[in-house]
Amino acid sequence: MPNQPTRATLQSASEQAAAALAAMPLRPEVVSCPLCSRQFLTYSELSEHYAADHADSVAPAAITLNVNGKTCELIIEPYLTLKQVLQFHLGLIGAKEMCDRGACGSCTVIINGKPALSCNLLAAECEGKSIETVEGIAVNPRWRPLIDQYCKWDAMQCGYCTPGFLVSAKALLDRNPTPTEYEINDALSGNICICGTQPRHSQAILEAVKLMAAEVSENG
Amino acid sequence: MRPFNHINANSLDTASELVKSGGAVAIAGGGDLLPALKDNIFPEYPKIVVNLKSIPGLDYITLDGDTLKIGALATLADIARSPLVQANAPILARAAGSASSPSLRETTTIGGNVCQLPRCWYFRKLNNRFDCSRKGGGQCFAIMGDNRYHSVFGGAGFNTDAGEKRTCIAVNQSELAPVLNVLTAKFVTTGRVIGNLDFFGVGVLTTTVLNRGELLKEIQIPLTDFAKNSRYKRFAFRKSIDFPVINLAIAVNSDRSQYHICLGGVAPTPYIALKAEELLNGKTITPELAEAAGIAAAEGAKPFEANAYKVQLIKTLVKRELLTMT
Repeated sequence: MPNQPTRATLQSASEQAAAALAAMPLRPEVVSCPLCSRQFLTYSELSEHYAADHADSVAPAAITLNVNGKTCELIIEPYLTLKQVLQFHLGLIGAKEMCDRGACGSCTVIINGKPALSCNLLAAECEGKSIETVEGIAVNPRWRPLIDQYCKWDAMQCGYCTPGFLVSAKALLDRNPTPTEYEINDALSGNICICGTQPRHSQAILEAVKLMAAEVSENG
Repeated sequence: MRPFNHINANSLDTASELVKSGGAVAIAGGGDLLPALKDNIFPEYPKIVVNLKSIPGLDYITLDGDTLKIGALATLADIARSPLVQANAPILARAAGSASSPSLRETTTIGGNVCQLPRCWYFRKLNNRFDCSRKGGGQCFAIMGDNRYHSVFGGAGFNTDAGEKRTCIAVNQSELAPVLNVLTAKFVTTGRVIGNLDFFGVGVLTTTVLNRGELLKEIQIPLTDFAKNSRYKRFAFRKSIDFPVINLAIAVNSDRSQYHICLGGVAPTPYIALKAEELLNGKTITPELAEAAGIAAAEGAKPFEANAYKVQLIKTLVKRELLTMT
């Protein structure tokens, strides 16, 4: 029988996620030129500066992203992927970069309710869509049993791919609250774990499904 | 990725004009383009990326009389889930649902799948290290090099922009191409309508006959007998996140007078197994006939040094799938 998850691990997971979400900048503090570090008051001044002084360079774009229910105004280079913007502009390091070619699933986020790979999307094309990352799942008490069971069944070894698996699992449970083992394996088939923890994932998710169903019936 | 400008197109015509003017590439789902840009495989790095997803109303899946119409921006996941496709062209739903991985299927599109660039490792080598014929260079490195995933039906000749003759033995790796071929789909572009037999081609930085700036708009699938009685099978080394080594689509009409057999991953364009079709037309499948058809499908194969295994795969896959249609 696997060990009970240590409360300390769980606590720190959701605390870290909550801290990362609280520290997420909702708008850029300073508008500075990425090339010459000159500071400006507004984005339009920055784009005028680009047109005048860096006419050959790619000008940053002003976009609005809806991440974990918060609306964030950003000034980003248009060639950044969503994964890079989440990490470097919003400080959300949950989505991990492994292959960076859309072949491993470590960077999975949920976009408009569907799992998608943040390394294979340009951030500029995600405007107006609702983006949910693993941090948003970790702070939500509803998904506590899922993380609980992931710890309990030890569905990780080095832990690098785990956020991607967790997001895929959450996306699956959103559209199918009572999946079979086959459906779980199918939904997680886009995520790769080189440590070889695959069988543990379906186990953890099946147990989490039972716990979540029990919670729902307890709370009426 | 290196810096590029990003433009949201608001109509296919503006996107087409931008791509035609040079230095720009169109992006739909990004499943093929973004890794290519990260690997820096293009001879000239594009300065502008034109977003097609901002064009409204191109991701539809509708039934118009006896024709299934699919917009070029319909995602593979939407096609696989669509009850309309599942009921009328089940092999299309099946093929779309087995491409890449579940999360990638949510963003990649049918247009991107049929227009994707070859997966040859010389073509895809990081930082454009092999100036291969498919990029306008002088030779095909796979002919003398490692060709274990390459064509078994010889290379395809084509002309570069300068009019020089070139050969390439990289295969067409599209998951949907064989299916669209056996269902005799029509491809509607910004300028013309192309039949299934003419659509796929070989050229510099393209796997279709589309001209520079010409964009795919819609795929029309006539719902004939063929769509009802059909099979799709892929052979890949991994179940998920892998391109098929060989994929096979078979369709037959109700009186079995005509069989359509198409193989992907064996030739530079989807390979129509004409000899096997001729052998089967008008007959009901028996085990002996299925075996003979498998051998006929592989007739004329000239494998290179490392890919003779594909010939056996063709024979076996065709035989097995035909046996499920008795």
